[in-house]
This record gives sequence, C-alpha cells and structure tokens, in this order.
Amino acid sequence: MNGIIAFGELHGVFAWLYDLLASTGLSQPWLDVVRYTVLGAMMFVVLALIALFLVWWERKIAGHIQQRFGPMRNGWHGWYQTIADAVKLLQKEDILVDARDKMVFFWAPVLCFVVAFLAYIAIPFGEGLIVADLNIGILYIIAITTFTSISLLMAGWGSNNKYALLGGMRSAAQAVSYEVPLVASILVIILFVGSLSMVDIVNAQSGFMYNWFIFRVPFGPIAFVTYIIAATAEANRTPFDIPEAEQELVAGYNVEYSGMKFAMFFLAEFVNGFTVSAIAVTLFLGGWHGPLDGSFLPSWVWFFLKTFAVVFLLMMFRWTYPRLRVDQLMEFAWKFLVPVTFANLILGAIIKYAGWYW
Amino acid sequence: MTKEQLQTAITEKLGDKMTLLDTGRHDLMYEVKRENLLEVCKTLKDDESLAFDYYLNSHGVDTKEKFEVVYNLASIIHKTRIDFKVILPYDSAEIESVQTIWPGANWFEREMWELYGINVLNHDNLTRFLLADDWDKGFPMRKDWDAPGFIRMPEL
Amino acid sequence: MGGLKTEEFIVNMGPQHPSTHGVCRLMLTMDGEIVKKIEPVIGYLHRALEKICENRTYAQCIPISDRFEYVTAMSCNQVFSMAAERLAGIEIPERAEYIRVIMLELNRIASHLIFYGVTAMDIGALTPFLYGLREREAIIDLFEMTCGQRLTYNYIRPGGVSKDLPKEFVPQCRSTIAMIKEKLNDYEGLLNENPIWLARTKGVGYLDPKLAIAYGVSGPVLRASGVDYDIRRDDPYSIYDRFDWKVCTRPNGDTYDRYLIRLDEIKQSIKIIEQALDGLPEGNIKAKVSPNFKPPAGENYARVENSRGELGTYMQSTGEKKPLRVKMRGGSFCQLQALPHFGTECFIADLVAIFASLDIILPEVDR
Repeated sequence: MNGIIAFGELHGVFAWLYDLLASTGLSQPWLDVVRYTVLGAMMFVVLALIALFLVWWERKIAGHIQQRFGPMRNGWHGWYQTIADAVKLLQKEDILVDARDKMVFFWAPVLCFVVAFLAYIAIPFGEGLIVADLNIGILYIIAITTFTSISLLMAGWGSNNKYALLGGMRSAAQAVSYEVPLVASILVIILFVGSLSMVDIVNAQSGFMYNWFIFRVPFGPIAFVTYIIAATAEANRTPFDIPEAEQELVAGYNVEYSGMKFAMFFLAEFVNGFTVSAIAVTLFLGGWHGPLDGSFLPSWVWFFLKTFAVVFLLMMFRWTYPRLRVDQLMEFAWKFLVPVTFANLILGAIIKYAGWYW
Repeated sequence: MTKEQLQTAITEKLGDKMTLLDTGRHDLMYEVKRENLLEVCKTLKDDESLAFDYYLNSHGVDTKEKFEVVYNLASIIHKTRIDFKVILPYDSAEIESVQTIWPGANWFEREMWELYGINVLNHDNLTRFLLADDWDKGFPMRKDWDAPGFIRMPEL
Repeated sequence: MGGLKTEEFIVNMGPQHPSTHGVCRLMLTMDGEIVKKIEPVIGYLHRALEKICENRTYAQCIPISDRFEYVTAMSCNQVFSMAAERLAGIEIPERAEYIRVIMLELNRIASHLIFYGVTAMDIGALTPFLYGLREREAIIDLFEMTCGQRLTYNYIRPGGVSKDLPKEFVPQCRSTIAMIKEKLNDYEGLLNENPIWLARTKGVGYLDPKLAIAYGVSGPVLRASGVDYDIRRDDPYSIYDRFDWKVCTRPNGDTYDRYLIRLDEIKQSIKIIEQALDGLPEGNIKAKVSPNFKPPAGENYARVENSRGELGTYMQSTGEKKPLRVKMRGGSFCQLQALPHFGTECFIADLVAIFASLDIILPEVDR
C-alpha cells in the first residue's frame, strides 16, 4: 500500500499469530487446522459482537425515526439491552409442538445460524484481514447464503403449522427469485475485475474514490441499486419481509419457535443483513480503501464505517416503507429487476470489450 | 321530504297495513301485523316515493307482556326515516325473515333469535353468534331470565 | 401437467392476531394464497351491555355507553344522551351544544388518527403508527383537562355536559388543531404517493355501492364508494347545520379511497372545530334534569355519525327510572357482515389491508 502508513493496521497480527503457532513445533496439517480454527473462532466472536451491536442499533434507529428514544434503561442509552434480551431468551422454556417433524424442526435454526457465519470466511475486513482468501470468493459467498432459504423452508415445514408453511413457501419463492438479479448485478463487477477472489475485487478499486465501482458510470450505479434491492430481499428485510410479516402471518416461519431457537433465527437475520452490506461495500464501495490514495485511518476502520453506513440505509428502508404483497414482490423481481440487470450486464460487457473505461 | 309528507305517502300506499302509534318520539313509529310483514317491507323498499332501501337496525324487545320486533329503516334518496314494529305474543314468537328484501337483516335476526328466542323463519344461518358455542342456559335478554349465580342489583 | 390435485384448506385468522382489530375470528377457506370464503365468528367480547343497561338508571347507563365503542366514546355518550333527551323532550343550552360538537369532532380526529396508524402498520409501514398516536396524545390531553379521562369520558350526559371547559381549553385546542393541520401534510407526503402503498391499496377490495346500501354499511366506508350520505347533514342533529363544512365522498370504493377519505374527514373536522371555537357562547352547560330522571313512556331511535359509521341507540321507556330496552347498533357490525361478500377472491395480504381499511372495532360488534 503506497502513501501514508496508517496507525493500527492489523495484518501484521495474523503473521505474528502464524509465527507463534509455527514456533510451537506442530507439523503442517495440524498447524493449518489449529490456525484456521483460531481464526474462525476470532471471526465468530467479532461477528457475534457485531450482531449484538446491530440489534441495539436497529432499535435505537427505529425509536428515533418514530420520535421516541428506543432502549434507554439498561446502561447508557440501553447499550446492554441486547445482552439482557439474550440472557432472557436463554432461560425461556423451549416449547415443542408434539406434531412437529423432529429432525427438520431441530436443524432448521442450526442451519440458519451456521450458514450465516460461514459466509464470513471469504469477506475481507481490512487489508490482509481475511480468514481465507478463496480464489472463488464471491461465488462461495453467494452459494452459502442461498442455504438460508432452505433453512426457512425447513422451519416452515417442521413446525407443522399452516402459517409457518405459508411463510416458508413464500421465503423460498422470494429467495429464488431474487437470486437472479443479485448474481447478475455482481457479474457486471466480476467482468471488470476478471477474478472471483474478494481481495482482487477490492484491489481493483484501489486509488482514489472515483475508482470505486459505484462511481463507474453507467453500469456501476445501476448495478449498485439493483444489488441493494435484491440484497434487501435476500436478507428478508422490509419491504420484502413477507416471510416473517408479523401482521399477516403472525411471524410466519418462526411462529412455533421459542427461546434460544428463536434467538438463532433472529441473530442470523441481523448477521445476514451485515453480510449483504459487507458484500456491497467490497464490490461497490471500495472495500477497505479510504477515499484518498493511502489513508490516515486503518483499513478495517474504513471497512466498518462503510458497512455500517449501508446497514443504516437498510434499516431506514425497514422503518419507512410499507410491505409489498407476495405476488407484487415476484412481479417486481421477474418483470423489472431481471431485465434491468441483464441489460446492465450486456452494457457492461460492451463497455469492457470496447475498452471505454479507465 | 318532511315527516308530514312521509306520513301522507304511507297512508296512501299502506294505510291499511301500517297503523301509526304515538309512542315514537322524533320519528314515525308504526305497527304492522305479522302476516302483512313481508308485503309491507317489499312496498317500503320498492316504491319510488318511499324507497326505504337502507336497513339500519332490527331487534327484539321484551315488554313484560309481549315481544316486539322493531325495525328501523332509512331512505338514502329521500333522506327520511321510519320505524315500525311487529307485536308477537309470548306463545307464538315466530316471525319471517326479511333478509330476502334487505340482505343486511341477516345478522340482526340471528342475534335476535339467539338472545330472545324469537324463531326466525326462512333464515339461512341460525347458529350461535354472540354467546358461547355450547350455550344452553336459555335466552338471556328475556325479562324473566335468571341464570344460576346471577345477582340482581339492589333497587336504588 | 394434468389435474394436479389441490384442496382448499381452512385457516383461522384470530381471535388473537396482530391485525384483526380486537378479538375477531375469521375462518378463511383458502385455495393456495387466494381467500375463497370468509366466515366471521364473533362474540368473544360480548359483555351483555344491553342487559346491564336495563338494570341501571339513565345516568348510570352513560359510563356503560362509553364502553360500547371506546375509541369514540364521546359519540356513544352523545347518542345515548340524545335518545334520552328526545324521550323526555329536554332542550339543552347553546353552550352545551357547542361544547358537544367540539368534543365529538375532536374525538373523530383522534379515531381517524388511530385508523391511519393502524392501517399503515398492517400494511407494513411501522412508523406512522407512532406519528398518529403522538398527535392523538395532544387531543387526549385536551379531554383529560376537561373531564379527567383519557378514553372513556362519561362527559356528555342527558341535559348537557357534565363539566365546563377550563379556561386553558380554548387556546390549547386552537394550537392542537393548528399542529394537526400541519402534521397532516407529513402524513400525506409519507404514504399517499408511495408506489408500494398504491400497489397495496389501489384497486383492492372494491365495495359496490349497491352492496354497501343493501348491507347497511355506513360512514366513511359508504362514502368512499360514492354514496353521498352523512347523518350530520341528512338527518340533522345537534347544531351541525350552523357550520360550513362539506361531506366528503370518493368515487372508487377501494382501500385507497377508504384511506384517503378519512384524511379528508380530519380536515373537515378541523374546519368545524375552528368555527365552533369562534362561536362558543357563554351560558349554562346543563339543562335542569331532575335526579330522578323518569322520561315519559315512548320509544326512540337516535343516530349519530360516528367515525366508523352510524352509531344508533334505540331506547324504550315505560316511565320508570330505568329504560325498558336499550339497543346499541354500531357501524362495524354491518361492515363485518358485508365483508364476506366483497372480501373474497383476494390474497390474504389484501384481506388484511381490506380489514384494516374498514376500521372495525370489535366491542361495537359484540357489545
């Protein structure tokens, strides 16, 4: 990285960790196993903390949009409200319906929770701060996040409840429909990067802010907008939160879940929201780069600032817009987003071929 | 259309079937015999000068000597109001349904049957409505109804 | 793909459900996502108010009439008092009439604000609920200042009103009205042109005017289908004929019009209140009514225009101090009766929107 060396860079930490482990004399396969386990555990802890923070933040934002304060009692401005809620949920009785499909009912929240975290293996939190720089990075992430819709379907089926089943079916339909514009928006960017690796994608945006893909008119902004819409739908957030619409289906697919199982779905939803924002930042907003060439803040600070900004945008959507009906949702995806994203893809391909970009 | 005009129109069209009572305060109150009920209702609704197409309310009354079934109607075009009642003795508490004329009468008659026990003939759905599904303790709105454990308020 | 065997199934919506407004149970026969048949099952909130009223004196019945429809309790008090006054032939003083009109219209605005919030919430926009209730708090403060109660007022009694307006009422009322008028622009800007809102409410739940009249539907739901009928103008009571206001109607009978018409009605109510505040005379607030109020024998059906439709009270007296029969009739009863006839062949999400736009309050239905 040229320019100013920032204070607080962390990629040296990973190298130091590796040396520490190697110095204990472990042989190669075990060394990698231990190293990735430690890295995975660190990532899990960081993400769990982020999820807790996001829950609190959403409640505060919702409160302020609605002209009220949000949580205020548990600590300064309610900062440990989420922890208190988690403790409460831990001690709740796990109500199990007799007629449920036991295997499916049990594994649905587990799958949802695990898959939400698995996606972070390939997301770069900063320069050199990535658990594994897979050369199929973005493809892996898209594939993993698709599992969420399977887990919602499992939850709906396993609950043996008509409302839950309706919610599960709707979520499956929605997830499948919005995958297509999601992937097509990402494909345009991949065309210009030439590689699926997340680190390569970020490096293609290095330099000044105009290099970020969102500013590369005309395909960049269009891809960003369609990506954000498709990502909101993938993360099951309003205006696309039909699967869990309280007012219509009494919480849809997770109506029969209580206690910690419900907490898993809930946290997984917030982690998914963070995932799609992180992908947006990596692909369109320059990843860990600051706006200038070289940076006065560490790379991970830039990454988190930008990701939280996108998360904030998603939260504003939730508390402002009404909800689309399920057939309108499908119509919007197939009749509007898919043609637009494909047209954008073709446009991007033409631009790349003709070399009309910088 | 004023009350006097309405009164003349009624006397003209239905003078023999509707008798004016003097108990109505603020609106006209008529009495109709049970056998003329459907005919009177049809005329009230279909006749252009009366045009009582807007069905507001009907309910039973238990004066301690007889049942009364009161109907309240209004006319949207002429902006008038009329009430009439059918008097039923206790031992033959049956009346025809007017839901073929005004579909809105359906639920009102169902409620009347359930609370008073006035049998409504030709009604398509006389089932439990406001009370519990397994209610078997009689007809609550009747004046002589007392459920076990029902405490009468002390007289003031 | 030859005949795929499909089957209709019954889904129970309620009685506990976040978006049936009160404890109403709708048994829906569904074919996939389409609702084929609706059967409302009611009675969960039956409190036998009419039987209770038969054992109470007229003054003791007024708090009971509050509970009949607690969102617009002033109208319930008003209709009961009107029925009793007509039986006894009481004339109420001018000041009491003006105060009654102000309270009724304020209550109408409060009820429509709740409608706005709850309908938006049912369709998914969660924030307008807080905005509507915030404005309603200002109105409730006015009520609390006058009669001490926030929800069930026991204020409008046969003969007049129970307490006079405190001296801070008129200035605070004026500022509240001005604030609501301004905030109404925010509400309209938030939802009226929003494409998602239009997609969810335009063309949904069309109510034919003939069907509406046949089932006795009244109030904003009837006027949103184009029928020009408002009890305040067509069967006049109180002093509404002294004020300059319009009856709002809307041509299409869909959910969007039922939503817009209530915002129009708030504007008209604001106009009426301003004129009433300007013309408020001095004087008595209560006619002389003996403590042993025994109206002569007679019967009477009084009706007022409530924010939900027509609120009617039939009262029959035999000259005793307790009424012989009190029947209360609310607008929601007829709208719920009409729902199975125009709410079918739609998605369940549309049914939620239609149900919200009818603004049904269950205590009125069950009494």
